[in-house]
Amino acid sequence: MDVDQIVFWVFAPISVGSAIAMLLQRNAVHAALFLVVNFFTIAVFYLVLGASFLFAVQIIVYAGAIMVLFLFVIMLLGVDREESLLERLKGQRVVAIALGVGIAVELIVAIRAGIGFATKAPPDFDEVVNRGGNAAAIARVLFREYFFPFEVTSVLLIVAAIAVVVLASRRRQVITRADASRANEREAA
Amino acid sequence: MLDLIWLIPALPLAGAVVNLFLGRRLGKAAGWLATALVALGFVLAVAVLLDLLSLPAEERLHVANLFDWISVGTLSVDVALRADPLSITMVLVVTGVGSLIHLYAVGYMEHDPRFGAFFAYLNLFVFFMLMLVLADNYLLLYLGWEGVGLCSYLLIGFWYDRPLASSAAKKAFVTTRIGDAAMLLGIVLIWVHLGTLDFGAVFGERASELTQGAATAISLLLLAGAIGKSAQLPLHVWLPDAMEGPTPVSALIHAATMVTAGVYLVVRSHVLFELSGTALTVVLVVGLVSALYAAVASIGQFDLKRALAYSTMSQIGFMFFAAGMRFYTGAMLLLVCHAFYKALLFLTAGNVLHGLHDETDMRRMGGLRGQMPVSATWFAIGALSLAGIPPLAGFFAKDQIVGFAATSDRELAWVLASIGAFLSALYIARPLFLTFFGRRRGEERAHEAPALMHAPLGVLAFLTVVGGLVLGFTAEGGRLAAFLEPVVGPVEHGEAALSEGALIAVSVVLAVGAVAVAFWIWASGRVDWEAFPERQPELAGWLANAFYLNALYGWLVQHPGKGFGRALTVVDERVIDGAVNEVGDEVIDASGIAPRIQRGFVRSYALAFLLGAVALLLFLGLRA
Amino acid sequence: MSTPISYFVVVSAMLFAIGTVGVLVRKNALVIFMSVELQLNAVNLALVAFSRMHGNLNGQVLAFFSMVVAAAEVVVGLAIIVTVYRRRQSSNVDDLTVLRG
Repeated sequence: MDVDQIVFWVFAPISVGSAIAMLLQRNAVHAALFLVVNFFTIAVFYLVLGASFLFAVQIIVYAGAIMVLFLFVIMLLGVDREESLLERLKGQRVVAIALGVGIAVELIVAIRAGIGFATKAPPDFDEVVNRGGNAAAIARVLFREYFFPFEVTSVLLIVAAIAVVVLASRRRQVITRADASRANEREAA
Repeated sequence: MLDLIWLIPALPLAGAVVNLFLGRRLGKAAGWLATALVALGFVLAVAVLLDLLSLPAEERLHVANLFDWISVGTLSVDVALRADPLSITMVLVVTGVGSLIHLYAVGYMEHDPRFGAFFAYLNLFVFFMLMLVLADNYLLLYLGWEGVGLCSYLLIGFWYDRPLASSAAKKAFVTTRIGDAAMLLGIVLIWVHLGTLDFGAVFGERASELTQGAATAISLLLLAGAIGKSAQLPLHVWLPDAMEGPTPVSALIHAATMVTAGVYLVVRSHVLFELSGTALTVVLVVGLVSALYAAVASIGQFDLKRALAYSTMSQIGFMFFAAGMRFYTGAMLLLVCHAFYKALLFLTAGNVLHGLHDETDMRRMGGLRGQMPVSATWFAIGALSLAGIPPLAGFFAKDQIVGFAATSDRELAWVLASIGAFLSALYIARPLFLTFFGRRRGEERAHEAPALMHAPLGVLAFLTVVGGLVLGFTAEGGRLAAFLEPVVGPVEHGEAALSEGALIAVSVVLAVGAVAVAFWIWASGRVDWEAFPERQPELAGWLANAFYLNALYGWLVQHPGKGFGRALTVVDERVIDGAVNEVGDEVIDASGIAPRIQRGFVRSYALAFLLGAVALLLFLGLRA
Repeated sequence: MSTPISYFVVVSAMLFAIGTVGVLVRKNALVIFMSVELQLNAVNLALVAFSRMHGNLNGQVLAFFSMVVAAAEVVVGLAIIVTVYRRRQSSNVDDLTVLRG
């Protein structure tokens, strides 16, 4: 067995298992932590697949920044709040799980129909595509063909930052009695 | 003159139009105008008669073709007027008696607010009646037929604010409609078989093309129309109720003219009736049964006009009886004489009503000859004529018919006819005695009618006295019989068991005897006839309600009618409304379900998305 | 590399399905959001796998962009959740029923 096979067969169950575990946690913090585990496994997959740059970015951005942000917010909103197990919508769980299984099955069938289960990757990826290392290779593609989308995403990030500042600021507005009571009536209905 | 025959109906038509539009402004002149026009029509009719008489007997026929009326496919009908002895006889009766009644009505309806409209309708009626008798084809006859029906409706319901009058008008129209519908079928059948409706063709060379079955069918259908219009059994129920109309209307339409239209139709179509063997028998039976039924019913009536109405029905029954025995001239003689004395009787009854302020119940009359001597005289003349006392007109007419029955091979018919003759004397003497003789049973003082209203009565009385002598002294040789012979054929009768003298004697004895019996019961004071309803309530009820035929018809028609109406109401409420309301309820229910889809839960929306996505993938996957 | 590419894609599919179920079944807004991130990651994995299969870097670049956008999205989304929480004192998605019909 090759190294990548061993790596795959070790980390794949961990990946799926941590995802399911995240699903089942009643405590939000626990769920977030399981998700972090899942992100780590995915990073390993990236590495095996020859995307070392993404391996690094995944850990830095996703596990390091995004999940930390999640944890901040969870703590802001109450860490020890446990979600109730009672499902108010009838049949929601059953249908959801059925549909989830259905999606999985459909996708797997599509994979089989599309590329078949036996296709292996071509062997010359590291020599040809990742010449000079994966980061350099990505830079070669990113700053030439995908330059415009790159700039657009930078704009996107600025916009997001501004949006968050606006959303999160507590504006001291004068809320009249009428507004408040009308709002409360609407919410009560 | 014969070419100007169209003037005779045109004059009253013009009068109707003028009175319809200008009646209110003309006031009393409307009445004079209407009367003058009808009288002028009579004069013109006499001129036509003289023209006809100047021709030899076989040629007394003139058809004046006015214009082409309908020309569609194979149907071609013209407006053509026929002047022959039969039609002229009818025209003379209609215009003659009609003008006298118009004159009477000028006085009778003097205070009525719708004076002008009344004479417009009367003139319109005369126009349609003249069209009926002058028509030279069946379609034009039918036009007149329907027209007189319309005018009858308008005139019976003339005082339309009286509910009894308007429902009587409706009843008359609807009942005769049944007969009219059958008659129209008969006319259509004539056209189907012979392709023409002209009298000349139908009764002439084309008649032999009809099979006996076709002739029977046609005759019976035409007879149905005649039964309706002439108020014979079973379509007679409208005539007693029609007495709700003003008395001149009762006299003109429901005694002298319109109700005799059925007899005219049968006599005119006698060729068809004779081609079918059975139709004439049916005519005979209908006439005889109606005559007897109406005679008994008349005896049970306490309303003066209703008693006279039933007597009209009975007399017309005699006319049908005569026609059924092929004694057409006898039927026509009775028709003419009946016009005289029945108009006289009705108009005199109008005098009584006028004098007693519209009291019609004979139980509250009695002894009026002291207060209304002239009217009493008129009524007596008319009654004795109807009863068949010689030498008054009624004697000749009735006796000839009864005598004819004796000569046919129908002994039973003669016996029944004799019984009918006895009853007819009885039923007409009864109102005479109840009204004018005996003790006065009311408090009101009756005042005699003005001279204007007596003048026409005098003329009618004169005609009633001499009519028979002049027109029908003998059955075969009387003037009327001879005059009508080119149209209806000679009078053929067989041998009778008794001699003619014996037959006459029997008739006279029956008539006098009946009058005497009537006097004894109702005028002498020796029979307590007033207590009869209490002592024999059932029998009295049967008589007074004319054997409850009216009620039977009402039940037969109303019951299913009301039931049908109720069923329709149920259908309307449950089925139609129910369906509509159901739809509404379903919509409400459905709209109750709909909000359940959008409860506001984000997760259910998400589930819906996923459902769609999975389905879409499935679809795409299966397609590939 | 001797593991067939499809194995990675299968794992991606399963992760995606698990993420979907998570979106539908959990009531805490944050956990739902986390499930969405799981879905995004699953897709990224598939992209990278296919990139390896096709022998070019387009898939990796796309996955890179996906991560950038996901980061921005998370930022904004969490800000919204915080704002909603401030209004209603609840992070339970079932309490947001103002749009019910």
